[in-house]
Amino acid sequence: MKKILTISKWELTRIRVRFGGRSGFIILAIILLAIGAAYLAYQHGMVISKGIYTLGISFDGPVVSDQRFQVIRLEPDLGHVMLSKGALDVYLDRDRIISRDDERSQYTTGALKEYLERQELLRIAEQYDLNRAFPLRIEVSSLEARDGDLSIEPGHQTPLVDETEEFTPAPVLTPKLPEISEPIPPRAESTEASIREQLDKWQVGGLSGMKESFLSEGEIVIPSLMPPVIPLAHVMFSFLFVLPILFTSVFFAASLTEERLSRKLVVLLSTPVSPLQVILGKMLPYVVCSLAVIMAITIVLKSNLLLSIAIFLPVTLFIFSAYLILALTYRTFKDQTFLSILVLSAITAYLVIPALLVGVSDLSYISPLTLVVEMLRGEIVTANQYLLATIPLFLLFLITVFIGTRVFNEEYLSSFKPLHIKAVEMLQLAVNINHLNISAFLSSIFLLPAVFMIELALVVLVSNMPMLMALWILVILSATIEEIAKSASIVGLLHSGAIRTRIKLARLATLSALGFFSGEKLFLFLALGVLTESTHLSAIFGAGLLIMPLVLHVVSTGTVCLITERLGGKYYPLALAMGTTIHAAYNIFMIRTFL
Amino acid sequence: MRVYLSLLKKELKSISREKTIIFAIIIQFLIASLSSVILSGILAFYDPVALVENVRFTPRVGYVGDIDSPLVEYLRSNRIVVRPFTEVTTAEAAFRARRLDAIILVPESHSDTVDMRLILPKMETMRIFMLVMLDEPLKKYENYLRENNGIQVSYQDAEGKPHSTYEILYAVIVPILMLFPALVAGSIVIDTVSEEFENKTFETLMSTPVSAGKVFAAKIFVAVITAIMQMVMWVGLLKVNGIAIYNPVHLLTASVIFATTIAFGAAAIALFFKDRERSQFVYSMTLIIIAVGTYLLNLSPISLLTRLSAGVQGVGILEIALCTIPLMVIAIVFLNISHRLMLARR
Repeated sequence: MKKILTISKWELTRIRVRFGGRSGFIILAIILLAIGAAYLAYQHGMVISKGIYTLGISFDGPVVSDQRFQVIRLEPDLGHVMLSKGALDVYLDRDRIISRDDERSQYTTGALKEYLERQELLRIAEQYDLNRAFPLRIEVSSLEARDGDLSIEPGHQTPLVDETEEFTPAPVLTPKLPEISEPIPPRAESTEASIREQLDKWQVGGLSGMKESFLSEGEIVIPSLMPPVIPLAHVMFSFLFVLPILFTSVFFAASLTEERLSRKLVVLLSTPVSPLQVILGKMLPYVVCSLAVIMAITIVLKSNLLLSIAIFLPVTLFIFSAYLILALTYRTFKDQTFLSILVLSAITAYLVIPALLVGVSDLSYISPLTLVVEMLRGEIVTANQYLLATIPLFLLFLITVFIGTRVFNEEYLSSFKPLHIKAVEMLQLAVNINHLNISAFLSSIFLLPAVFMIELALVVLVSNMPMLMALWILVILSATIEEIAKSASIVGLLHSGAIRTRIKLARLATLSALGFFSGEKLFLFLALGVLTESTHLSAIFGAGLLIMPLVLHVVSTGTVCLITERLGGKYYPLALAMGTTIHAAYNIFMIRTFL
Repeated sequence: MRVYLSLLKKELKSISREKTIIFAIIIQFLIASLSSVILSGILAFYDPVALVENVRFTPRVGYVGDIDSPLVEYLRSNRIVVRPFTEVTTAEAAFRARRLDAIILVPESHSDTVDMRLILPKMETMRIFMLVMLDEPLKKYENYLRENNGIQVSYQDAEGKPHSTYEILYAVIVPILMLFPALVAGSIVIDTVSEEFENKTFETLMSTPVSAGKVFAAKIFVAVITAIMQMVMWVGLLKVNGIAIYNPVHLLTASVIFATTIAFGAAAIALFFKDRERSQFVYSMTLIIIAVGTYLLNLSPISLLTRLSAGVQGVGILEIALCTIPLMVIAIVFLNISHRLMLARR
């Protein structure tokens, strides 16, 4: 620990020296300016679509003070002419909205209507007493239906909740169900208070509305004050937390690359510190910095600090581990720029897209951002949900750091070979040559979290494609990914010439398949604690007997490894295609009833 | 000119040689296009019209109360099947047997207010579906009750389409797609310039009869070319997806001008600091300042891209021409001071 801190301190000094000196003042000024700009933007409020709509209003029409609208005051005659010529999107003749049939005019109408309705509501709320202004109060309660099919019928497009899904049986008619046959007791005062509260929240708008849990039991809602259902704003907002992590991790990667290319890392290796200490020590200041920013944001938002750290620690570690691997492999800075953009878009997609499904599908829980959305809404995150979203991230971090320590040698760090060769070498180095059997078994388990994450992300990706297409894509891609994961380390060993006999190769392939199989079962167990079993999931995990999938894994991995050994590393893609075909064929057979 | 061309060739070659870069662009392209498809799919879940038409979701509501109430008519006109019940218990039984998706109870009211009850399924998906479907009829009914209370509510009969998708598309997605390549171009310029300093290859380059300005111009040019390639690709992809870009040529021209301005700025930063780490840091901070500053001054490039792509009237050549002013300034200043910046020690 002491050594790790020493390295961290050294890293901090390095940053200070780098950013200090004469140019330090310039950098400091720029940082201050950026902070000031961000603060101004926060104060000012950002309207993203300034001036996107062109609106004509008659001289006796209402005032429209919304930055999205460019307002032109003009007489009705001229207004109609300009509207028909397309010079206006919509014309507002006193209180009549006149539009064209085309899309832009219709969208403008939608936006204008929403704005004017809001103004009307503000006027009504101010002019009249609450009972007259908000005459409709709805008490929402819920009731559990018996298990069975959803009422959604198959259509042109497969819904996210596919109709073939079997839902876990819900407890039928438990005595705890809310008694709803009773007449509503008069609760005038509490209702009034609730309306007042909703009105205040609605008037403030924006983020304050997010803190409330979404439609809790017995809540009184007012239709016109109901918050929008779509979680887009929540998700975008929760992504705000991720930005500082991405920012600092890029600098961590840059620092590591620079020291690698200038061979300073190699010099470090000659001192009595272990690679693990170097990696953790160099990472620590940046991780601490990102967590500090996240804590600051959480405090500003008055959200749950502990939960926020619990969610973002694995996210931070995950992002840093992705950049660690990048920093150890790429050769030039140009490589780094492109690959880090690639990693950036992949991480963003992985975090954001599932979170958009919050509430619509429990698949959303594969992304930790879903937990953040729940946190912002003030809802409870269950232990199962937390574990599903974060365990793969924690594991991936541990594995990446492990691989990082294994490749931390002079030869690897200072060589400039094509990326795929570097990847193979990385796997070779990760494997312990003296304990090949255990290594083969563990290597496929180690790659599982990554496989698992990619596969679940795939399920989300295909979820609104037509069922048949979705299943084919899932079966083929997941089989390919699994075959790569199982065979990668063995192919790496083949490349280094560590495997001499074919029997040894077969044994290692079997062990790798066995490792993968046992790890997979464990993960599936974890996933099914949160996710409902669906056709999509069984397309990947090929539900069925215990012994058959094991045999399948052994056969397919064996095929890939033996073909590669026979024809050479160049033909690995071909071998992979063969293994994938066997694997996919089995999975297709298992889900044949759906196809 | 020939010297310049050979410099360009050298830089272009170095980019195209990097298979990883091409590969990375393609994967990034795939991720983004998949994401946009999914995003639009997800947005359809919150749009009642799309729910009814694409998913063929026909919600069935059990209604306990006065069947002649306008609420029933509002519900039916929003394609909701309304099944009248006289008793709550029978409606509940039908709900449990999954013959209903929600129950609405409207007790008789003799005051200004109506206290309604809405029973929704426990499953969150279904709750959200039902709320999306019920939103409009309930609001209409609320306005009807307001009118009964003597409150006139205007602008009720306007139709229009939900605008959030439209705004996100033109104000977020299009500007991101157009500016992202520009930002990457700036980043590449920093990489290639600082690489020359860090590898000390610059001194060798200086011993050849090529001026420093030409070397940098070639680097900037190549970075801008890769950006243009990506931008054209994005506009094409949007078109394939049936998304209307109103002024593609204007949009591309403006984006290229921004990319070039950014590339010149990035080159100046890299020349000043002469190492990648500081340059990239200052570069990203400067971008934040410029983004916010131009926004506050109402000169935001993001906003211009939004308005160009959405075909807002009165936005065109003049605005684009104005954008060339900062480009000219920065280009002239850069070409004049680049030699001095380069020789200065940092």
